[in-house]
Amino acid sequence: MLSILFCSGILLFLAGITITLAFAGISGRKTRAVSLILIIAGSVFLSITSLSVLLSGAKLDVLSYTYVPGFDISFSIDWLSAIFMLLVAAVSISVAIYSISYVELEKGNKRKNLLVGLMGIFILSMMMVLASSTIFSFLFFWELMSLSSFLLVMFEHERKETRKAGIFYLVMTQMSTVFLLIGFLSLYAATGSLEIAPTQLAGVQSFVLIFSSLFLGFGIKAGLIPFHKWLPYAHSMSPSNISALMSGVMLKIAIYGLIRFLLFVLSPELWCGVLILVMGSISALLGVIYALKEHDIKRLLAYHSIENIGIIFIGIGLYVIFTVYNLPALAAIGLAGALFHTVNHALFKSLLFLTAGSVVHATHTRNMEELGGLIKKMPQTAMLFLIGAIAISALPPLNGFVSELMIFQAFLQSYVIPDPLVVVLLITSMSALALTSALAAACFVKAFGITFLGLPRSEHAKNAVEVARPMIIGPAILAGLCIALGVFSYQILLVSGNTLGMPDMLPIGVMLMVIYAVAWAAIRYATPGVSRTAMTWGCGQPVLDSKMQYTASGFSQPITRMFNPIYRTKSVRDVQFFDKFNTLLKHGHGEITTMKFFEEKLYAPVAAAADQIAIRVARLQNGSLDAYISYAFIAVLAILLFLGGISL
Amino acid sequence: MMSFILYGVLNTLFIVLISPLFMSLIKKVKAYSQGRRGPPLLQSYYTLLKLLKKERVYSETSSSITRVTPYLSIAVMLIACLFVPVVFIPEHPVGMGNVILFLYLLALAKFFTALSGLDAGSTFGGMGSSREMSISAIVEPITIMAFAALAFTLGTTNLFDMFEVTSFATDPVLILAIVPLIIALITETSRIPVDNPETHLELTMVHEAMILEYSGSDLALIELSHAIKQTLLVAVVVNLLVPWGLSAEVSLIAIAVSMLLFFMKAAIFSVCIGIFESSIAKMRLFNLPNFFAIGFLFSILTIMLKVFK
Repeated sequence: MLSILFCSGILLFLAGITITLAFAGISGRKTRAVSLILIIAGSVFLSITSLSVLLSGAKLDVLSYTYVPGFDISFSIDWLSAIFMLLVAAVSISVAIYSISYVELEKGNKRKNLLVGLMGIFILSMMMVLASSTIFSFLFFWELMSLSSFLLVMFEHERKETRKAGIFYLVMTQMSTVFLLIGFLSLYAATGSLEIAPTQLAGVQSFVLIFSSLFLGFGIKAGLIPFHKWLPYAHSMSPSNISALMSGVMLKIAIYGLIRFLLFVLSPELWCGVLILVMGSISALLGVIYALKEHDIKRLLAYHSIENIGIIFIGIGLYVIFTVYNLPALAAIGLAGALFHTVNHALFKSLLFLTAGSVVHATHTRNMEELGGLIKKMPQTAMLFLIGAIAISALPPLNGFVSELMIFQAFLQSYVIPDPLVVVLLITSMSALALTSALAAACFVKAFGITFLGLPRSEHAKNAVEVARPMIIGPAILAGLCIALGVFSYQILLVSGNTLGMPDMLPIGVMLMVIYAVAWAAIRYATPGVSRTAMTWGCGQPVLDSKMQYTASGFSQPITRMFNPIYRTKSVRDVQFFDKFNTLLKHGHGEITTMKFFEEKLYAPVAAAADQIAIRVARLQNGSLDAYISYAFIAVLAILLFLGGISL
Repeated sequence: MMSFILYGVLNTLFIVLISPLFMSLIKKVKAYSQGRRGPPLLQSYYTLLKLLKKERVYSETSSSITRVTPYLSIAVMLIACLFVPVVFIPEHPVGMGNVILFLYLLALAKFFTALSGLDAGSTFGGMGSSREMSISAIVEPITIMAFAALAFTLGTTNLFDMFEVTSFATDPVLILAIVPLIIALITETSRIPVDNPETHLELTMVHEAMILEYSGSDLALIELSHAIKQTLLVAVVVNLLVPWGLSAEVSLIAIAVSMLLFFMKAAIFSVCIGIFESSIAKMRLFNLPNFFAIGFLFSILTIMLKVFK
């Protein structure tokens, strides 16, 4: 029964993809709407399937298919894939609704169809990665996901920055696949099985290789620092509905892969947990610190994705460490925190990307310094963005808070670990997490305050109008889920059977509303309650100018100054004078730039080395037939010698 | 459950009623130390009543954020009152009194206050919001570490349980964990040397700059929530530092005794804050990390002493 539901969901997806791609030349707005509705229906089917798997708790084997003997493609859904499929489905539904209007803003019929069709392939491939139960199909759909998302990033390929972003993304995502391939092949060599199933790897010599390749592969795809640079490029350059999908969902597929292999395949050791925890803490902290300096609203959100991925990794690291010390109760809190934060981040980050997309569409700029006062022009979008901002700043009673609370709770009880050095590591990591979440709140006061409040800072912002209805409804679903998952978190945990000692957020939410209403009524009816409107005091100037407000860079200046060493600001000052006393200025120039640390110190050297090797290798290909024949001869000789050497 | 409702009503009412008094008390101490007589002790109450009667002036630029914040802020503080018992320690539902929830509730109010600073499009509001959020960001690790130190020492992350088990005789280490708590308290309540509550000079104001556009009953609510926040944080510190008097017993005498004792402890603590404020100057914004580092050091020290015992 459930298998049929699952398969019909997939078929709906395929139908949606086919009608837009096959009739790309002739079809119009209506076809695209039908296609998007089919994608929504498919997502609904898949989410019903995974919900019933979650509630029944039994693993569901869907179908398996042998293409080449030994390379089975088979699918099954267990609780872990069900959680992630629900998440993908929820985000996809709202992104598809949003896209009904958003896609029409693009130019050209073919392009619009292409966008919808590729989006369908992208979502479907992510679903299939989650349902894969063999390494072969996992990798196949993983590549499909990477390639379809690459095409989507390149969507506005006329622009030079987009092409750069696309190529950067392609290189990084292929690196991720290379490492995964190394990890999978060595796993196969150690176990002889292509199933994603528990293995006995204890004492296997290649465990270090397997774990580090998988960690690197998934880490690159998840955007862990220092492999994060593709995120701000790709997310800011792609269409906003795609940014929402990539940041909200695709990064989570990498998280899924890591959790799947940690939980079900490998049996990790202490150093694995420490590695995950440390890398997670660094990503979380640096991600938010870079975000504070960013004034491009979509890049800012991309850096926050890095931060939140870091927080998820911290949760996973805690799970591994507590498991190694045989503390299952605490490990459960860590894992629950990581999983819950994964779901929450998917919801609020997609919400933020979609609403930011509406802002960019309405104002034609991503630069926050040119925005302002939008809450008056786009009240609904502003409201939705605010809900996302509260959720991502981890403020109660919304969902972001609950998952961070779980992780904090796991940290605060870490005194039971017998090894003092690990405890010291944990509390250091905890203080980094505390700093991260407070900086995130500061960053979102900036993001919301500068974009939506005050006076408009440009003509664009002044002339903005509210977006079409579907672009409100799509994000509104996500906003509703953010509130529901926060307020009803305790009840959800209750259904899952373990409340983990979490506080019940429902009374907090109810009390907040009741006291708010009572306070409002008391002030309204018990005091004279006269109010009037007047101009903001403009320091004695007759007009209030938008230039008198704080800017985005002004807002984050105290923090950027305190964290100056991390930004590696480079200042160049070159001044020449006529006289030797340096009084008469001849000419000079000065500039302050933020050093792109990872790009200059890590990426550029690696790229340069690869270039060098490529130049050497290119010499082999000289176009002369003689040379090629001699290569073949040398190769055959080498193989014979090698085989002979083995048989000897 | 009944006892928790009784506790909720009593505790909240008591804290709300005495909070403005401590604000005036600190002002009085500072006035004395400057050779002035200062305002009467009930001045804060008069001011609040006066503000409630006055009209509210909203900026043309401001949006619903400005109008929502005062009510939200008082609602958050009243809920936070449930987390810090001062009348008696009741049987509490699971998770009530969770220290992280308590801290983040306070942060929710701060988030909205900072947004309302940016709302009017004024020159000063943004300055206040920016500084407030920067300071609160760098003090956050210190606050969390202080509570981590308490959790490590007392073996719980719940304020109710902490107040129940705290005792100096068994854990002299606690005195170390109190230092970062006091630093967090000074920062959260915008006091010298972090912020100057008495000034409206653009160079120095932080909290006052954020709420500059508020007037009338809105300002009254904001001021009252600020006073409640201060009392709550003082209550956390004194309940840990001098836990005597607070009991789980529900009787008229026990409640009266713990109320009276808490009142005296908090009054003495407020006098100390007043003396401390009079004796030092406000720090430069960019020197604050050094001040917070002291708190961080003490938290780490507490945890180390526990871990390497």
